Amino acid sequence: MSKIHYDREHHVKKATDVGDPQCFKGEAGPAKFKVGDRVRVRDLPSLFYSRTMVYARGAECTVAELVYESPPPEDEAWDNCDNPEWFYSVIFNQKDLWPEYPEAYASDTLETELSERWLELV
Amino acid sequence: MAEKHKAAPMVDEISDFEILEIAVRELAIEKGLFTAEDHQLWSEYMETVGPLPAARLVAKAWLDPEFKKLAVTDGVKASLEVGINWITDMPSHFGTPSDYCNLRVMEDTPTLKHVVVCTLCSCYPRPILGQSPEWYRTPNYRRRIVRWPRQVLSEFGLALPEEVEVRVEDSNQKSRFIVLPVRPEGTEGWSEDQLAEIVTRDCLIGVAVPKPGKTANDKRPVHPAINPVDH
Repeated sequence: MSKIHYDREHHVKKATDVGDPQCFKGEAGPAKFKVGDRVRVRDLPSLFYSRTMVYARGAECTVAELVYESPPPEDEAWDNCDNPEWFYSVIFNQKDLWPEYPEAYASDTLETELSERWLELV
Repeated sequence: MAEKHKAAPMVDEISDFEILEIAVRELAIEKGLFTAEDHQLWSEYMETVGPLPAARLVAKAWLDPEFKKLAVTDGVKASLEVGINWITDMPSHFGTPSDYCNLRVMEDTPTLKHVVVCTLCSCYPRPILGQSPEWYRTPNYRRRIVRWPRQVLSEFGLALPEEVEVRVEDSNQKSRFIVLPVRPEGTEGWSEDQLAEIVTRDCLIGVAVPKPGKTANDKRPVHPAINPVDH
């Protein structure tokens, strides 16, 4: 049986002197959402690793910016860089995240970033 | 008498995480994942970073509208003008699993106030802002600032009126954030050096606003060691 060779330095070679996430630029293909789109955070199962906060799941938000392309953290945690996605900066109204948020501060917001797989059009 | 002498402890407390770090580091060196020299190089780099370049960036942005435009659209490029190269400054030349090379500069206005947190861990723009303060990394700050931002800000001494929108930046992915606060009144005609002095680390995280004459962060409470070093 031949020994399986796994290149543990593939990311280092790709990112050195380019930067991460810069090294994935142009790899995600066309973006599914555009600035201003109303989207909802999907409640996908997240076994092992995810960076989608529980408080954001199921909540509606607005796309504020397309920020960069990168493998999603669910893949990257396993050193898998094969499927980069667009990342979106999204803005929630605090009232949509915390039902008890005071009415007096109805204009307060929260901004965070999520990868494409976590969003769906409302 | 000599046998009774004990040197003063260098730290009050060593946490379980510090012991774990030493154990993992020594194992990694033993296994050849990195060398002791690599570790020293990184530690020395981390000693050199601090909040001054970020303060300079804000002062420059206040004085130069063109630079402000660059800062809010491309934070990494704007950082070059204050001597920070997000990609090549770090010994790895690409960042680390927690220091990614994407800086976003969030501009406050008289009706919008940003405040930065990382609810999932403690992501922080270290190349331009140095090591995060201890409170930034505590579960207390991380879990409360997203849900009760105004209450937490008021604990920092920052009470904001209703007409100001508070926007929490949860830095959960590869962007790192600093806040570009509103230039305060009473700073007309100031030089870049004078302006940079009042942009404290707390202003850059967003839990304080710059004030003429205020050049240091407020003192945070220091709690006694829970498990003092047995010396």
